Amino acid sequence: MIYPRRKSMTIRTTCAALAAFLIGSTALATNAFADNLTMWVRASGTNAAAHLVDLWNSNHSDKIELTTIPDTQMVTKLATGVQAKEVPDLVSFDLIYMPDFMRAGFLEDLTAELKADPNFASVAKAYIDIATYQGKLYGAGFTPDVSILVWNKDLFKQAGLDPDKPPRTIGEIHEDAKKIRALGPDVYGFYFSGACPGCNIFTTSPMMVAAGSKILPANGNDDALTGDGVKQVLETFKEMWSEGLIPKNAQADSGANFSSIFKSGKIGIQGTGGFLLAEIKHDVPNMNFGVTFLPGVKEGQVSSFVGGDVVAIPKGSKHLAIAKAFIAWELTDEAQLEGLAKNNILPSRPALADNKYFAADPRVVVTAKAIGVGYVPWVYHFADMVNSDSSPWINMLQRAIFDGDVDGAITEARQKMKDIASE
Amino acid sequence: MRARRSRQSQGWLFIGPALLFVAVFVLVPLGQLVITSLTDRSLLGGGRFVGFENYLRIWRDASFWRALAFTAKYTIILTPILMGLGYALALLTLDNTPLKRLTRTIVFLPVIIGLSSSSLLWFWLLDEQVGLFNKLLVDLHLLKEPIVWFVTADLAFWAVVISITWKVVGFGMVLFVSGIQSINPDIIEAAIMDGASYWSRARRVILPLTRRILLLTTLVSAIGSMLAFDQFYIMTSGAPRGQTFTAVYWIYQNSFVSFKLGYGSALSVVLTLIILVFSALQIALTMRSEAT
Repeated sequence: MIYPRRKSMTIRTTCAALAAFLIGSTALATNAFADNLTMWVRASGTNAAAHLVDLWNSNHSDKIELTTIPDTQMVTKLATGVQAKEVPDLVSFDLIYMPDFMRAGFLEDLTAELKADPNFASVAKAYIDIATYQGKLYGAGFTPDVSILVWNKDLFKQAGLDPDKPPRTIGEIHEDAKKIRALGPDVYGFYFSGACPGCNIFTTSPMMVAAGSKILPANGNDDALTGDGVKQVLETFKEMWSEGLIPKNAQADSGANFSSIFKSGKIGIQGTGGFLLAEIKHDVPNMNFGVTFLPGVKEGQVSSFVGGDVVAIPKGSKHLAIAKAFIAWELTDEAQLEGLAKNNILPSRPALADNKYFAADPRVVVTAKAIGVGYVPWVYHFADMVNSDSSPWINMLQRAIFDGDVDGAITEARQKMKDIASE
Repeated sequence: MRARRSRQSQGWLFIGPALLFVAVFVLVPLGQLVITSLTDRSLLGGGRFVGFENYLRIWRDASFWRALAFTAKYTIILTPILMGLGYALALLTLDNTPLKRLTRTIVFLPVIIGLSSSSLLWFWLLDEQVGLFNKLLVDLHLLKEPIVWFVTADLAFWAVVISITWKVVGFGMVLFVSGIQSINPDIIEAAIMDGASYWSRARRVILPLTRRILLLTTLVSAIGSMLAFDQFYIMTSGAPRGQTFTAVYWIYQNSFVSFKLGYGSALSVVLTLIILVFSALQIALTMRSEAT
């Protein structure tokens, strides 16, 4: 059998065309972005980061291009990026991954620059602690967030509660939620995203911490879930769930409704993050709501989870000097006030909490102050212990609240967290 | 002899690019996967050779076996639904009338949507509060009140099955239509002349003559289901409590959430072998039934 010559010609032509296309498109891509800095930001930090980056771009000749990475893919992207030497010049990510990234050697050492920077000295201690590894500094607070408790003042009023008196203990949350639930079949007293590990370490764990508990072990010899706070909070949540004070879809909510449901105006009380303030003002400007600290078991006990993003420079950044200049710039009064505070985002320098932009809204000041009462765990394997979809943390919450086995859930989680910490 | 050799080398030349492609993009990564599976490498770097330790650990990893059993259940239930429905749709829309062609197009449309997009679409369609699917069922009086689809493993399972059926059934249908249309019309005509009814034609003539395409489609569909990930990642997140983790999801969890790349690689090797064995078994069984 003779093979027709035309066919092999066609194959050759196709191959050549394909090769030309590939080479062409690579060249195009390289040229187009050569003069710009690239910055990755996780999805939930995009809004805040964009304000800062826009401000920087408006008065600097070196432009930064922001790329949003889905929250759950940030670790993977950065880890594979560093190993493949395909990294952005700057990266803004969930501060909780700092210990893992610093230990793995992914980030540029910024000790000299930051220690010499007068603005850095006034950055919130939590951000300095989480970015310190073996005495060296690897990042700075970028777009802070902190957990708070919000309550719907209109619903409080309708339920006969004092709209200006938020619950000051977990017990009061329970009592207030009962009264609000009585308002109607589609009005609920309380909400939490029952299948979202991250949402709950952010909003539920501070209630336990406020009551004197410690959640995560730093290593295999350290204890997990200590004290009575864990049990007391879980018991209250369990009761609220079994009494129907929480919407049924909370059990399956893996975070999709975390920020949207309170805005519907059908929820009385919810633990959330400072980010919600800007969202509410934008989406439902007429909503009448209040902000307070997340309470513990007794009056006066308060806490929060200091979260948000840190900014760092991945090893392999092609514009190291400009990237460092950006980090120094983002700590200046200009960036903190005009980039963040002006847009209802908290500055990472608490001293700037009292500013002209926040003065109009005491709720933002409360949120800014929450950073001062908050905690952030410096642990490795945070994803394994907390953020993973099968983590001991989320399993404990679900087993305790939805199955009702509080003691069994805590015992199991305690052991599993210790096992992970020993790895 | 010489002519044969030259033809042989010509043949090699032709399949050369394909072989090179397979070598670079399949064999090399596969080799790397096996090597990584023998180390305790972390996603964050580092790692040392640990022999078969990862494989011994898989043996004791109850979560993996549970995920594998869940994946098998998913495959066993979904494949007949997709094949049966696809074949029925193919028979119903066989002729090239405008209406049937339009029907085929509509059924096929979801196939061209990305799996992630369709999963996200269904995630919100099935939402308890804003989802249209619940509203439809309530309005039709099939449900008394909206249900939370992702609250139990069983409901979540069926939610995914419904979404995937909608998404993929058109693919089988199109393959079956082309398979049935390629049957020699004389055979069908002969069957009609012999007085065969529609059902006996479909069962005794069309079905046996499309057995090969049926096998191929079943195989592709079953392998696809064994490798299911996106739909569960987006719609269930493995919830409740990891009961809807599929095998690939568990590999993802270990490799990219827990950073255990070495262990994740070992899990991948095991899953590849399992799929290989089942595919071989399926082909062998069908070939034997064809021979008899």
